[in-house]
Amino acid sequence: MQVLLFGIIAEKAGRERMTITASDTKELRARLVEAMPFLASLNYAVAVDRRLTNSDRALNGTEEIALLPPFAGG
Amino acid sequence: MNDVKTHKKRDIFVEGAIPASFIAESIAKHATQTAIGGHEIFLGQVRADQIDGKGVEAIEYTAYRDMANEQMAVIREEAFARWPITCLHVHHSQGVIKAGELCFFVFASAAHRQPAREAVAFVTDEVKKRLPIFGKEILSDQTHLWKTNA
Repeated sequence: MQVLLFGIIAEKAGRERMTITASDTKELRARLVEAMPFLASLNYAVAVDRRLTNSDRALNGTEEIALLPPFAGG
Repeated sequence: MNDVKTHKKRDIFVEGAIPASFIAESIAKHATQTAIGGHEIFLGQVRADQIDGKGVEAIEYTAYRDMANEQMAVIREEAFARWPITCLHVHHSQGVIKAGELCFFVFASAAHRQPAREAVAFVTDEVKKRLPIFGKEILSDQTHLWKTNA
């Protein structure tokens, strides 16, 4: 599935999107840290289809995932 | 501005700073809506904070635009449900905004001042909390820091 990267995460990864395969959000988080070890020390939220996820959920591979560092609008 | 009343999803983002003339034109467009008795406005301006002896020269804003606009539509519905406001306009900058320039514009109109005031305060706070907008503070030595709304 497509994973969109923003802010400091996009900067550290040197890219704005990547593809990850995972069957649920728990596996997704593990795969993301494998791909981007710097995530372990960053504060960020995961959005699935443009909604923040607080609990684990299954993924079918068609979702749009986004990694969101702390917000700074306004 | 008639589309405002439909509360439909729209794009709040503008490229670059928000010119003062844009704000003046927004106000002027309401002259035909004579049921309005008060306008309330919040304007966010990029502040030249001092960080470890270095000044903030600009903030580069980026956003998860689709999610931000969806979140804004939710906040808009909440505001219209809570207060009898006639219209609500929100604009936020993307790109590099220099210190002293405007980056955020919240504008509510109502028959009376109190709902307009409360709606603007609510919307301003909720946008800061809930919209995935990211800010890179560019310092005077051209290093940068990532801003967070604590």
